[in-house]
Amino acid sequence: MMSDDHVIFIVDDDERIREALSDLLDSHGMRAVSFASAGEYVSADKPDLPACLILDVELPDINGLDLQRQIADGDHPPIVFITGHGDIPSSVRAIKHGAVDFLTKPFSDADLMAAIGAAIAEDRDKRAERAELSVLGQRYRELTPREREVLPLVVSGLLNKQAAAELGISEVTLQIHRRNVMHKMAAASLADLVRIAERLEIPITHSRRVGGN
Amino acid sequence: MMSVWSHRPKFSHLGLFFAAYVLGCGFAQSLAIVPGTGVSIWPPGGLFMATLVLTPPCSWPWWVLSGCLAELFSNALWFHSPLPAAVLIYIANALEAATGAWLVNRVLGRPVRLETLQEVLAFVVLGAGIAPVVGATVGSATLAWFAIQSQSFTSAWPLWWIGDATGVLIVAPLVLVMFNSWHGKPRLSSSQWMEACALGLILLCVAALSLSGYLPFAYIVMPPLLWAAVRFEFKGAAVSLILLALITLMFTISGSSQFAGDPEAQRQKHIMLQLFLAISALSALIVAAISRQHQLALLTVRQSERQLQQLIDAVPARIWSATPTGGSAYFNKRYQDHFRSVIEDFDAVEEPRIENLLQELVHPEDAPAVQATLGNCFDTGSGAAMRFRWRERDGIYRWAECRIEPRRDEDGTVLQWYGVSIDIDDEVRAQEALRERERELSLLVDMVPVHIARMAPDGEPTFFSKRTLESLGMEDVASWDELDRSRLAVLIGATVHPEDGPRMKEVLGHALLTGKPYTIRYRRRRADGVYRWMEGRAEPLRNERGEIVQWYAAAIDIDDEVRAQEALRDRERELSQLVDMVPSLLWRLSPDGEPTFFNKRVINFLGLEIADLDKPGLSRLQAIIETAVHPDDAIGLEEALNRSFVTGERFSKQYRLRRQDGVYRWVQGTAEPLRDESGRIVQWYGLSHDIDDQLRVQEALRERERSLWQIVETLPAMIDCAAPDGEPVYRNPQLRDFLGYKLEELDGTGKSRLEGTLDAGVHPDEVDGVKENYAYSLATGEPYARRHRLRRFDGEYRWVETRAAPMRNAEGTIVQWNVICLDIDGEVRAEEQLRLAQESLARANQAASLSELSASIAHEVNQPLAAVVANSHACQRWLTAVPPNIERAQRTVERIVRDANSAADVVSRIRALFKQSIGTRINAALTSVISEVRNLLADEAARRRVRIDLQIDGGLPPIAIDHIQIQQVLINLIRNGMEAMGSVAGDRVLGMRASYIGDVIQTEISDLGPGVEFPDRVFEPFFTTKKDGMGMGLAICRSIVELHGGRLWAEKNEPQGAKFIFTLPVEAKAAP
Repeated sequence: MMSDDHVIFIVDDDERIREALSDLLDSHGMRAVSFASAGEYVSADKPDLPACLILDVELPDINGLDLQRQIADGDHPPIVFITGHGDIPSSVRAIKHGAVDFLTKPFSDADLMAAIGAAIAEDRDKRAERAELSVLGQRYRELTPREREVLPLVVSGLLNKQAAAELGISEVTLQIHRRNVMHKMAAASLADLVRIAERLEIPITHSRRVGGN
Repeated sequence: MMSVWSHRPKFSHLGLFFAAYVLGCGFAQSLAIVPGTGVSIWPPGGLFMATLVLTPPCSWPWWVLSGCLAELFSNALWFHSPLPAAVLIYIANALEAATGAWLVNRVLGRPVRLETLQEVLAFVVLGAGIAPVVGATVGSATLAWFAIQSQSFTSAWPLWWIGDATGVLIVAPLVLVMFNSWHGKPRLSSSQWMEACALGLILLCVAALSLSGYLPFAYIVMPPLLWAAVRFEFKGAAVSLILLALITLMFTISGSSQFAGDPEAQRQKHIMLQLFLAISALSALIVAAISRQHQLALLTVRQSERQLQQLIDAVPARIWSATPTGGSAYFNKRYQDHFRSVIEDFDAVEEPRIENLLQELVHPEDAPAVQATLGNCFDTGSGAAMRFRWRERDGIYRWAECRIEPRRDEDGTVLQWYGVSIDIDDEVRAQEALRERERELSLLVDMVPVHIARMAPDGEPTFFSKRTLESLGMEDVASWDELDRSRLAVLIGATVHPEDGPRMKEVLGHALLTGKPYTIRYRRRRADGVYRWMEGRAEPLRNERGEIVQWYAAAIDIDDEVRAQEALRDRERELSQLVDMVPSLLWRLSPDGEPTFFNKRVINFLGLEIADLDKPGLSRLQAIIETAVHPDDAIGLEEALNRSFVTGERFSKQYRLRRQDGVYRWVQGTAEPLRDESGRIVQWYGLSHDIDDQLRVQEALRERERSLWQIVETLPAMIDCAAPDGEPVYRNPQLRDFLGYKLEELDGTGKSRLEGTLDAGVHPDEVDGVKENYAYSLATGEPYARRHRLRRFDGEYRWVETRAAPMRNAEGTIVQWNVICLDIDGEVRAEEQLRLAQESLARANQAASLSELSASIAHEVNQPLAAVVANSHACQRWLTAVPPNIERAQRTVERIVRDANSAADVVSRIRALFKQSIGTRINAALTSVISEVRNLLADEAARRRVRIDLQIDGGLPPIAIDHIQIQQVLINLIRNGMEAMGSVAGDRVLGMRASYIGDVIQTEISDLGPGVEFPDRVFEPFFTTKKDGMGMGLAICRSIVELHGGRLWAEKNEPQGAKFIFTLPVEAKAAP
């Protein structure tokens, strides 16, 4: 049985390892794509699925750790390092930079599969989060400019009256905008909207004045 | 009648005349003492005659009438003659007076002054002599006719004649004198008055004494009478005579006179009285006349003398006279003035001598000559003329001419010297100026570079200027004259070129005939026989009547001009030929672009003359562009031309021009303006060169070049061209794209292009070596070849192989380096990978530490082990799957076996290293192994700055060796040697020598390091002199060599360092 909801990338210069790992993962029903070098991996078209990258530290073109650093900025699958002769500084460095695991050859099937499983799960979460944020962002972009002005005031906790005065519009108008914002952003409540705003990192520009007039 | 009336005298005069006449009659009556006679002395006759002498004849009738009345009145008073007789007597008196007056006037003319002796004598003879004859004859006849007082004609006539004569002599002078001095004042001085009075007294006394008879002779009265006449002339004579007549009258009347006597003697006495009076009157008058004449002469002399003096003073010359010796000179006023103005104390000079005075005045330069001339004159008595300058009033000197002549007497003795000095300064200066001008003119005529001649109207030369004479070789215009030929003909024959002679004669003849100026060019023979071209011109000079007086001719030597013109013409012809023959199309345009000249080739090429271009409505330029220029080029050409015309810039353009046969040919047209001094364009000179063939060749060449270029540009290699000094001058696009920058971007960085390229592109590890190699090649000219890493535009270093070879010219000098650079990154990396494995193995036996060795071994072993483990798990999975996937498991197991073997292989190899096991031996050439190792270590050697000195004998036989093991031995020994020289300052030379000795191949590796301290112990395992060495390398090496049946030992290298030598037997023994 072949699972199509995730993929494992293997980067190792030793063909024997690539063959063996591919076969092993195949036997676990996992889809594996192998590359002989970092360059090949970087330049290849990769399916948009939850994934895991099994990366040899010693590569012909570039050190695996350097590759990790290079791709750190972009979205990349969680990395499981494998190495012929792992030393402690390298492993610490790899883990610090977000590697899921650092396995020394020869490694056991269980260790590898655990690491892959963790990595896939992590990637899946990350992807879900990214997707949700993307939906929220899409919704936010659909707001009119006035609604985008209204949003931060509302989530800042200002009363309708205060927000309307801030924007120089009537309270009724503000209420209409507010209702539209709630609707467009698919927020069930004001608390929900505040959470969404937080995730979208909309800055809270005003704080509600306590003990006002 | 009218004239008589109009000449009527004044009545007062007539009255006076009447009174005087009557008084005269009375006087005569009173003296008529002789009985029987009417009168004795007849004063009215003198009065009448004098009156008529003084009055014009027209008025005479009046006087006659007046006298007639007076006579008749007197007749009535005293004479008492019968009226007819009285009238007749009066007629006799009037006739006498008229005759006398007419004769006197006739002879003496008017007015009668009686101032000369001649006049007096004439008056006495005519008036007192002849006129009374008429009166006496008529009167005596009347008396006799009427027998008055019984007078006979003969007795009455003498009395009558002498009476009338005496009357005329006594009265007429008195009247004339009175009348003449009527208007003049009496100019008598007091002394003269006194003298006159005294004289009157003496006369009276003498007359009284003599008449009264006290003195014996009546004629004693003469001296006082003559005295009066001498002293007082006519006035004195007339007055004295009147006085004498009166006294005589008194005494006669009184009868006391000696002329009074008895009536018988009376007649005689009467005649005596009359004679006495007549002679006295005659004498006195004559003496008075003489005195008068003398006085007049004196007066005249004085007058003329004064005039002469004035003349001498007024004449504009300085005149002097001197004594024969030159003393006591006289100077006229001008002279004196001159002397006074110049010589201060002139008036003080007592006896002026002309020499001395002149000495003062004469210019010092002229003074000696003047002195000599004067002295000579006075000595010899000959006249002289001299010119000198003398000083004038204001100190300036003026020229003067002095002429001196002597006056001589009959004997020739010099009486007086006379001199005249004339100021001739202006003349002298004028003459000098004239002379100067004449000299200048003469000089001008001679000096002016023209041959001048003058000819007579008939053409005969009369004058040649000096230049002409010299040119012809003549001394004078008449030098060559011949008798039978005209001078002109001789000259033409002698000097004019025979070819020009006839023409010359013709022209001259025509000019002389018509009188028109002429101009002629001819060749004239110079004195030295050379014919030279001359241009002769002549013009006639005419007098007021238009006749030709002279011909003036001038000839200019134009030989040089003529020859220059000829040369010019020749040159022009040559130029013209050149212009026509030059194999190009030449043309000329006016500044505004109108064609003004085509050379023959243009005309032949186009088949057009310039004149063919004149078309209505088009300029020539437009016409030629329209006809001859290819339509595609016409607009461009016209624009280019017009631009040049406007800006004055050089014109240059290629265009197609239609040949006569209709074929268009490419020409290169260029034109440049010719400018005058002010920079204004005068002409455009153009040239159109047929470049059609050339253009086609060029086209073909260009085509070839383009294809070559394209080859270079598109060749899948990086190509570079560099100057002899290595500076890149060209890079093909492949190289440019690879490097990512253009050649020009290297400029201005302060480095040369080569250096810039190397620094920027070559891998830092190799850049020094590359530079060194480049420098070596550039210096020696040897081809360059090298592999190194080169930085690509994206920062990736790629292996390239660069080869460069010099391109040399015919002399062998390098003109360019051609460089080809191939991207061999793929190949190198493949090689590298291959080698890496070997190297890692090679390095394994000399790893720095045991851990490194083990890590290396672990890696080599773990790799297959990891594969084996993974495969095993997979296999397990395949087998445990439901249903078990046997096929996959099978394949996995195959891989397990393979990988496990691989791991075992590694392990066994490692073991072999330590267990000195021998690998597969293959027959190989040691040379190739050595070369491989050398190449492997080339980088390292370069990095360590070690030169590997390789000497391999030729003809080494192949030997059976474990390639890798021997490689490892070599690498080990070479590395040891290089490391040993790490601290050496001097040359780092690693020597490698392979030689065939006996039946072994001996390989020596020597270094210049510190040497080996213990040559035997170094081969023991774990013996090391290195800080972090394992002490295994040499031990392994020795075991490998010995395994091959050879030996390895160490020696000292000369002069320093160590030498490791190993031998390998050619016939390798089989391993035990």
